[in-house]
Amino acid sequence: MPYLGNTPTTQSFISGTDYFNGTGAQTAFTLSRTVASVNDIQAVVNNVVQVPNDAYTISGTTITFTSAPSSGTQNVYVRYLSTTTQAITPSQGTVSWSTLDSNVQGDLGISFKNRIINSNMVIDQRNAGASVTPTTTSYTLDRWNAGLTQASKYSVQQNAGSVTPPLGFTNYLGVTSLSAYSITSSDFFCLIQAIEGFNTADLGWGTANAKTVTVSFWVRSSLTGTFGGSLSNSAGTRGYPFTYTISAANTWEQKSVTIAGDTTGTWLTTNSVGIYVVFGLGVGSTYSATAGAWTTTVNRAFSATGATSVVGTNGATFYLTGVQLEVGTQATTFTTAGGSYGAELALCQRYYYKKGPQSSSDVRYGIGFSASGSSTTAYINITLPVNMRTGPTSVDWGNTLALWKGGTNFQVTAITITSSGASVTDCLLQCTSSGLTGEEAYQLVAWTSGGGFLALGAEL
Amino acid sequence: MNKIITVKNLAGQDIYHIIRQTGEESYTSFPVQADNPNWIALKTAILEDKAQLQDADGNTMTAEQAKDFVKELP
Repeated sequence: MPYLGNTPTTQSFISGTDYFNGTGAQTAFTLSRTVASVNDIQAVVNNVVQVPNDAYTISGTTITFTSAPSSGTQNVYVRYLSTTTQAITPSQGTVSWSTLDSNVQGDLGISFKNRIINSNMVIDQRNAGASVTPTTTSYTLDRWNAGLTQASKYSVQQNAGSVTPPLGFTNYLGVTSLSAYSITSSDFFCLIQAIEGFNTADLGWGTANAKTVTVSFWVRSSLTGTFGGSLSNSAGTRGYPFTYTISAANTWEQKSVTIAGDTTGTWLTTNSVGIYVVFGLGVGSTYSATAGAWTTTVNRAFSATGATSVVGTNGATFYLTGVQLEVGTQATTFTTAGGSYGAELALCQRYYYKKGPQSSSDVRYGIGFSASGSSTTAYINITLPVNMRTGPTSVDWGNTLALWKGGTNFQVTAITITSSGASVTDCLLQCTSSGLTGEEAYQLVAWTSGGGFLALGAEL
Repeated sequence: MNKIITVKNLAGQDIYHIIRQTGEESYTSFPVQADNPNWIALKTAILEDKAQLQDADGNTMTAEQAKDFVKELP
């Protein structure tokens, strides 16, 4: 029925009666509800209905009779006539995540809800969006390791193929198969993110209180069918292979897998690997296991038995973004681990820090200052932007670096991490060159062309 | 290819490092240390015939030479 005016509030009539014992002297009685006026109740004394205002008045929860009711047991009663607004408090543990508005879910801002770093594939310090073809197991986009047993079977590139990412994303990790390779039983090809144990310690895995997690992600492939992946521990002795189905080719689909936490096995909670999250691109039987259950393995279970091989089809594509691993039984609104680009970059720099010019025209970019220790060596201290996972374990450099002084470049032929100079805050590097003057200061620079860089790694 | 070189550390001791060319003009290096994950991975790969090793002069070792060599390292 149409009406004019404000939308009525939701109210309901809830019947009720308060009983009192008259004393012959007491005139005021306390009601169980607040009432607005005398007309909202009916007062009865000795089974005689009383006249509002004349026989009684109301103030809040107090009814006051003009004359004291006579003595009796429950000879005074008040019946409620009007609607009442009732506040309903949900019972503890009854409001689920999905009941909340999606905006509220996002606004809750649970710190580090998502344990995957660079989950939306925005940070690519190593390759800055260029395609790479891994020849050994190596990192591609930040925190994403390309695992393989055969060289050059697939390439990896941020935003490969330039398709439109899923709504809300600007980047994805793109894998392209470079041949039609028939995997053997001992082959594996996969994408791996190793989550540091400090970031999974609260999951309680390996204990009776192991928490359930949900892995969700957006995936798009030129292939359809059953694909696989896994979670496993540092040693590779415990694994949970999972499957998911890609239904339509070249279409972004969001998938989620819920996994009860492992109550056994050894799960590290230090700065070593806590959990390996793996997406299979073609995994042989040696490194596969039955999906949907925790299994004890001798060889790490990278994927589920029978999963589709991406590297088995020349030109096949496999794109991934929005990867989230969170506590709980369902996939919630995607958030990055850091919450902002800067915070996400800092999280990545805990494992890899690249320093270099921002443009190809930025020649003689100063990477840092050094002092030579001899005619062939100079030492340069790099202050790290964030505390790294460990003291750097590798140093990368490229596009000819030189030690520069007074207009002369001394080409650097090797850079190594000094055995005693690597800490989580600083790293002392030894640059090998020739023609240096001992105990003099030099500047380490990108020399003949732009693009020179220095990078320190403390990857898992 | 992984080249193994010797570099004197600050104390004047000879320390093995691996230098690997990763691109046309890009390299990576890491020390040969028992707890270095890069070295652990390379040593494993050499022992499984999945990686090769060069000496400091750039001569590629045979698989057996490389295995025997890395077995002596931490």
